[in-house]
Amino acid sequence: MAAILVFSERDDIAWQLLGKAAELGREMGLGVAAAALGSADPGGYANRGAQKVYISKNEQLKTFEASVYAEALSQVAKQADAAVILIGSTRRGKELAGRLAQKLGAGCISDAGSLEVKDGRLVCTRNALGGATVATQTITTELQVIAVSPGLGEPIESPETAEMVEVELALKPSAVKVIARSEKGQGAVDIEGAEVLVCVGKGFTRQEDLKMAEELAEVLGGLVACTKPLATDEKWLPEDRVIGLSGKSGKPNLAICLGISGQVQFTVGIRDAKTIVAVNQDPNAFIWQMADYGIVGDLYEVVPRLTAALKG
Amino acid sequence: MEKFDVVIVGAGLAGLSAAYTLARAGVEVVVIERGDYPGAKNVTGGRLYVNPVRQYLPDIWEEAPLERHVTNELLTMMSSENSTTIRFRSEKFNRPPYQSYTVLRGTFDRWLASKAEAEGAMLVTKNLVDDVIKENGRVIGVVAGGEELGADVVIACDGVLSLIAEKAGLRSPGDPRNYAVGLKEVIELPRETLEDRFGLTGDEGVAQLFMGSLTQGCFGGGFLYTNKSSISLGMVVGVKDLMEKKPQVEVPYLLEEFKQRPEIAPLIKGGELVEYSAHVIPEGGMAGLTTLFSDGLLVAGDAAGFSLNMGITVRGMEFAIASGVIAARAVQQARERNDFSAASLACYQQMLEQSFVLQDFKTFRHAPQFLENPRLFSFYPEFADRILEEVFTFGEGPKAKLSDTVRKHLSFGEAWRIARDLWGGLKI
Amino acid sequence: MNIIVCVKQTVDLQQVRIRKETREPVLDNIPLTIGNIDKNALEEAVRIRDKVGGKVIAVSAGSEQLTDTIKEALAMGADEAILVISTEFEGADSGAAAAALAQAIKRVEDYGIILLGEGSADNYSGQVGPRLAEILDLPQVTYVSSLEVENGTIKAVRNLDDCFETVEVGVPAVVSVVSEINEPRIPSVTQILKAGKKPKQVFKPEDLGIEITRSITTLSNLAPDQDRKRILFQEGTDKDVASLVSALEAEGLVRR
Ligand SMILES: Cc1cc2nc3c(=O)[nH]c(=O)nc-3n(C[C@H](O)[C@H](O)[C@H](O)COP(=O)(O)OP(=O)(O)OC[C@H]3O[C@@H](n4cnc5c(N)ncnc54)[C@H](O)[C@@H]3O)c2cc1C
Ligand SMILES: Cc1cc2nc3c(=O)[nH]c(=O)nc-3n(C[C@H](O)[C@H](O)[C@H](O)COP(=O)(O)OP(=O)(O)OC[C@H]3O[C@@H](n4cnc5c(N)ncnc54)[C@H](O)[C@@H]3O)c2cc1C
Ligand SMILES: Nc1ncnc2c1ncn2[C@@H]1O[C@H](COP(=O)(O)O)[C@@H](O)[C@H]1O
Repeated sequence: MAAILVFSERDDIAWQLLGKAAELGREMGLGVAAAALGSADPGGYANRGAQKVYISKNEQLKTFEASVYAEALSQVAKQADAAVILIGSTRRGKELAGRLAQKLGAGCISDAGSLEVKDGRLVCTRNALGGATVATQTITTELQVIAVSPGLGEPIESPETAEMVEVELALKPSAVKVIARSEKGQGAVDIEGAEVLVCVGKGFTRQEDLKMAEELAEVLGGLVACTKPLATDEKWLPEDRVIGLSGKSGKPNLAICLGISGQVQFTVGIRDAKTIVAVNQDPNAFIWQMADYGIVGDLYEVVPRLTAALKG
Repeated sequence: MEKFDVVIVGAGLAGLSAAYTLARAGVEVVVIERGDYPGAKNVTGGRLYVNPVRQYLPDIWEEAPLERHVTNELLTMMSSENSTTIRFRSEKFNRPPYQSYTVLRGTFDRWLASKAEAEGAMLVTKNLVDDVIKENGRVIGVVAGGEELGADVVIACDGVLSLIAEKAGLRSPGDPRNYAVGLKEVIELPRETLEDRFGLTGDEGVAQLFMGSLTQGCFGGGFLYTNKSSISLGMVVGVKDLMEKKPQVEVPYLLEEFKQRPEIAPLIKGGELVEYSAHVIPEGGMAGLTTLFSDGLLVAGDAAGFSLNMGITVRGMEFAIASGVIAARAVQQARERNDFSAASLACYQQMLEQSFVLQDFKTFRHAPQFLENPRLFSFYPEFADRILEEVFTFGEGPKAKLSDTVRKHLSFGEAWRIARDLWGGLKI
Repeated sequence: MNIIVCVKQTVDLQQVRIRKETREPVLDNIPLTIGNIDKNALEEAVRIRDKVGGKVIAVSAGSEQLTDTIKEALAMGADEAILVISTEFEGADSGAAAAALAQAIKRVEDYGIILLGEGSADNYSGQVGPRLAEILDLPQVTYVSSLEVENGTIKAVRNLDDCFETVEVGVPAVVSVVSEINEPRIPSVTQILKAGKKPKQVFKPEDLGIEITRSITTLSNLAPDQDRKRILFQEGTDKDVASLVSALEAEGLVRR
């Protein structure tokens, strides 16, 4: 039976995808298989909804490198008779998806934010035009590669135990040598799950001043998140706090945006917030289009007042 | 310092027309524009009379991105509750070659720029010219983005409040009487809705002008033009009246009130505001013109003051195009003499005098004084509206004769003033 | 060794308006520009060239207007451009772009590094780089936040989701960069003027023996419904702050 093949270099994401694949497989009449390549815990895949789990002891899979993994997955895909390949849309995953799709002559959608079956076809949505719009797309090639945004799909416990299939893979060593790796060691903040987010932008002029935002977040029982330049350019906050197209998406009840201009690449990450409040000194800032409430003014004056008012 | 034959400051209609003409003649020309792209910051009401300028930019009108040709001319006089509209429609205006079109500058200017570039003109956008370079009193180039660019001739086409003309000492910062402020909105509507509302077929269009209470007695008026699938709606108000008005009013407020009028609201209902702009308009007529040339420098378009208030409308685009082209021709003549002194460039003024540009300015030289008459913007619209109100109102008692109605609203003194106003009007 | 940089022409996203009625983006008549992150790739290409020599060749696939749009890249420091022009590229998927770019790149002799952006401004699929690498059978290094090229070796730091990875690879290779790698320069007036005169090779897809195929169908492309209240307090005074707080309280969002 043709199958949906699932892979992510991160087991937790692979298991989420398996949950989704099991659901899609039922609707589409496809089997579900996982490629547990390079996983430290292939056994963990056994009861996650797959009928088959492909494993390999090939030395080349010790470290993840996209071209090697693309070759490996293309060989697994053939054995598994894959019709759809779902990959976790991390940075590594996206890189892999592109290379694999090219190898297999497949159409590929990356950063799919939703995935469902309509009239027998898989229909995905993804952000387009920098996040200004959401495109609904289908792949027209016979084999489809879809890189799915992390968080889509829930891991399941299946009573059915998958068959472990060990595969022989012919792989060449990678031309890319990894010399060093430094973990970002990001704290376990859960921006995506937070009820209240205080988002800070370039309206802040010094790192110390972020304390104001932290105090406000504390009063509200929320977390501080930021726009991209604050993390990547200024390095005032770790990158896992970035909200937006290349960062995280939150669904808080309340998002407070301080000194943020509101360009789509940012707002795409908070558009699911129930209520958005903004503070900006520019009466023409884009952020007003997105705000439920706004205060036009200097955040250096407004934020302390707001914190005080909320405390009082 | 990099040197070119000609540097043009400003990629509006004047600058682009000059550039197109020069490039076609094989002259090395650079246009420097501060906006992101040509037309990005250019404000116009939106009507262009093509006949006067057809020959200035030969061969290109066929493909020009024009919106609609105007077949319906409406004039509306408004008082606080009434309005009187005169509607003129002519089939003559509905036969090519059409005499006037509505235009959107964002599209039109970018197209003209692409034409000029195709002829070899070099366009630099996103760069502000912040000074002229002078040597022994003559202009030899400009400073843009911190860099010096030399030229035999600089043509200042940088619009109203021209910095270049000012830096070159040709113009002193203006008298408020010589300026009006214009506000304009572009409101998008589906093409069919728009055609239904205005009773238009195909590419026919409407030009409607408004005078009276909308400007609260200030010099000025309102305009409405139909584009393919949008309406250009705006207002022009004299800066002096505005400054002297007690209590103070803001033009955006006047425009908002205007939009709420029952004459306007249904026309724009359901439309989406897609563009909002504000701009200063030179209105000094003949007296408001700058010196048009000096050693190494020509001034064209709004920068020179070539904008004429024809009552409620402003005519500036034709003058911008024509003066730009004439400036280019003057440069060509000066090149033949290899002499870019003021004496040599004086041919610019002579050619302008022979053209419709300065002739129209002479014809309408009294226009500014005539138009300054506040009665034009308050008394007359009120008067017309009041008389018609009586004509059309049927009360309980017997209806008065029309002559009584007129007399009631017109004392001898008023009649005398009307005669004087008319006389003033006849002179323009 | 020459340096290739792939830059994509897109509508200026800042100018894209959403039609309220239908939530469709209005793309007609929007000025075109080069994607932001592609400019980072270009900047990096220019820096490498200034260090190791060779030429920077900008390669791009797009519509007719590309001959004009590419001037921006030439002004920013590319020495030459190779363009593949067809109306078919409008809305085409990453596979089509990669195929065209690969054939154009094959016309270049002695290239050492092919630079791209992490994602294009409008599509942001992140696929073109890896696809290109696959077609040309080259190694690829993606999401690079710092880059050095010395004696035929590329040393790069990759910014990945959970770590920074330092890698080495020999030339030629495909490298995609993230925006924090550098600050793209703003070209000067003279550079802009010179750009028009730099050499450009223009091909049609058929000249390169490629057919533009589509593997993705877009069923709709709409802005999400955003119905925000848009209540603005203009002053930022204590009074305004108090009004805001009571509004939030009324909604049960604070001080529960
Ligand atoms: C492909 C791509 C992906 C991207 N992904 C992301 C992403 O995931 N997340 C993201 O955030 N960005 C992203 N960006 C960048 C994005 O385009 C914007 O550049 C960024 O969001 C701007 O951040 P900002 O609002 O903090 O800064 P700015 O745009 O500089 O805005 C600062 C604002 O602060 C206001 N301000 C200044 N001083 C004060 C004061 N004292 N009081 C009150 N207000 C003040 C200003 O009026 C201004 O509106 C991406 C860009 C690209 C091209
Ligand atoms: C509300 C309103 C309604 C009007 N209605 C009509 C109408 O219906 N019909 C009509 O014919 N005319 C109308 N006009 C007048 C007409 O729009 C102008 O006369 C015409 O635009 C003048 O063209 P221009 O090229 O001289 O100047 P502009 O179009 O103003 O162009 C000047 C250019 O120079 C650039 N620039 C300025 N300074 C610098 C600098 N230092 N460095 C680089 N670039 C610079 C500007 O960005 C601009 O692009 C109207 C004007 C207004 C404001
Ligand atoms: N049509 C194109 N022409 C040139 N380069 C392109 C094109 N499309 C994509 N690219 C390059 O590939 C990168 C990734 O694009 P994408 O895969 O669309 O996100 C971009 O940043 C560009 O450097």
